[in-house]
Amino acid sequence: MTRALHTVRPDDPLAHALRLTRAHRVRHLPVVGEDGKLVGIVSDRDIRLAMPSPLTVADPDRVDYLERTPVSAIMTSEVITCSGADPIEDAAKLLYRHRIGALPVTDASGTLQGILSETDLLYAMVQILGGTEPASRLEVALPDRPGELARAVSLVAKHSVNIVSVLVSPVRVQGDKTVIFHLGTIDPREVVGALEAEGFRVGWPSLEEDVRAFLSR
Amino acid sequence: MKSALIWDPMVLGYRFSLDHPFNPRRVEMAVSLIEALGLLEAPDVGVVAPRSATDEELLRVHSPEYLAAVKRLGEEGADTRDAWRWGLGTDDTPVFPGMHEATAAVVGGTLRAAEVVMSGEATRAFNVAGGLHHAHRDKASGFCVYDDLAAAIAWIRAEYGGRVMYIDYDAHHGDGVQGIFYDDPNVLTLSIHESGRYLFPGTGFVDELGEGDGYGYSLNLPLDPSTEDDSWIDVYSRLLPEVAESFRPDVIVLQNGCDGHTLDPLTHLRATTRLYEETVRITCEVADRVCGGRVVATGGGGYAIWRVVPRAWTLVWAGLSGQKAPDRIPHAWLDRWQGESPELLPERLRDESGAYPPVPRRAEVEAINLRTLESLRRQAFPLLRGWGMGF
Repeated sequence: MTRALHTVRPDDPLAHALRLTRAHRVRHLPVVGEDGKLVGIVSDRDIRLAMPSPLTVADPDRVDYLERTPVSAIMTSEVITCSGADPIEDAAKLLYRHRIGALPVTDASGTLQGILSETDLLYAMVQILGGTEPASRLEVALPDRPGELARAVSLVAKHSVNIVSVLVSPVRVQGDKTVIFHLGTIDPREVVGALEAEGFRVGWPSLEEDVRAFLSR
Repeated sequence: MKSALIWDPMVLGYRFSLDHPFNPRRVEMAVSLIEALGLLEAPDVGVVAPRSATDEELLRVHSPEYLAAVKRLGEEGADTRDAWRWGLGTDDTPVFPGMHEATAAVVGGTLRAAEVVMSGEATRAFNVAGGLHHAHRDKASGFCVYDDLAAAIAWIRAEYGGRVMYIDYDAHHGDGVQGIFYDDPNVLTLSIHESGRYLFPGTGFVDELGEGDGYGYSLNLPLDPSTEDDSWIDVYSRLLPEVAESFRPDVIVLQNGCDGHTLDPLTHLRATTRLYEETVRITCEVADRVCGGRVVATGGGGYAIWRVVPRAWTLVWAGLSGQKAPDRIPHAWLDRWQGESPELLPERLRDESGAYPPVPRRAEVEAINLRTLESLRRQAFPLLRGWGMGF
């Protein structure tokens, strides 16, 4: 989440909110009361919907419309939020289910602590999927029954190769799950050989089917 | 002397263990094949011995703590319990006695190569034993303890200033060199490798463009794992001239890892010996045009040590020194090495066309590589044009 927040008060004019979104290149502004509690949220899209169309002739009565209208007139008051202690997969589900672009993060009293944007979440996912240490990537097909992952992991451990990350994809290929290991070695040949000797199907660079699925997507 | 081969048996001390894939035998075999083919006889080529790198030279690219750790861990009977903190003591990069001295000699070889080229004593130089591109500022990785390439680049910058273009076509991403110069606009790194989606070290994607002042000076072209000569040479010959003419380097540093060959056991790329001839030819042509022909070259990866490495690096040397290498490998050389080799040594220097079965999805692979090239151009070329305008 982002802690350096750009926020507005309910009685701030829309013009001020618009300037903030443009100056800081943000799409969502939490609306906060004097006590620091979250009372609403306003997006750059909400503000633009409230603006006159650039195609209409300027109406002298409306020139200062954005200066006269307070944020509270257009903000969303029923805000979907999360807490700083929520796992990121829960936050991701909330964004996805409600088709929204950001989640204000509040504590138990409703005081605003930060905001989690789609971009923040995407970055977290990139880190989880990519890993940050030098590694070789193996795909292993796992029969969907208890103990198979442990069996594969213990074979890797026997070769004293460090596991940088493990990702188990629930997508089945020919009835099997796929596990993706990032291993801290430039030379995974012995591990590949050991896994294959124990009956695992191993993809290095990739299980052929997965390459196909990826390309035809 | 126009071309210098940096060689002395002292570099053979860079050896982890008897059965480790990074086997110095490959360097010895390559030099002996170069010699057997008469490629050290021309009046304008010579052999130059490496020297040892000084601490000052190593400290330009490595932290003092790391240097001290490598020295200590290489002593007889050293306590190696904390070796993992420095990326050492792993199966890939085990601790070995005299590790500091052996690696400093490899670094010194690449420094010698840079010295003879920058002083004008030679136009091109080739340190066959060099190319340790995975070593980071304070961490060993992927068979590499010190980063000879980075040390030579930093030496050039310190002694001569100017702009250095680093080109790396080892099958693995040149992550160490890229990382050390990630924020430096005077050193452009260009790495072409099997995509990190599949292969160690898992980096080298198009979006790694550098940071700070160095933004736009790190370029990566990750290839599909099944890439063959034609597609590889095609994307390289489209990309290199454009980049070099915009950056206008004063010298090119070229890492010639030959593990992208189809017989290499550690990667999935499908090159033949033609790739090495063509890459060196294209690079030297560009160097002649933009930087007075100056090329500092090293070896690198290459784990098909019997059937590929000696031939690939012989072709690299022939290309750098502008000599036509005869295709037939002398019987005396084959007799000398066949006894040790578990595989039948090829009798010709160049792979015959059609020697290896074509990849069934060739068209698809070519399309993927072209799309990657396009993506790199879209992201990097607005920055490339910036250089041309003197930003």
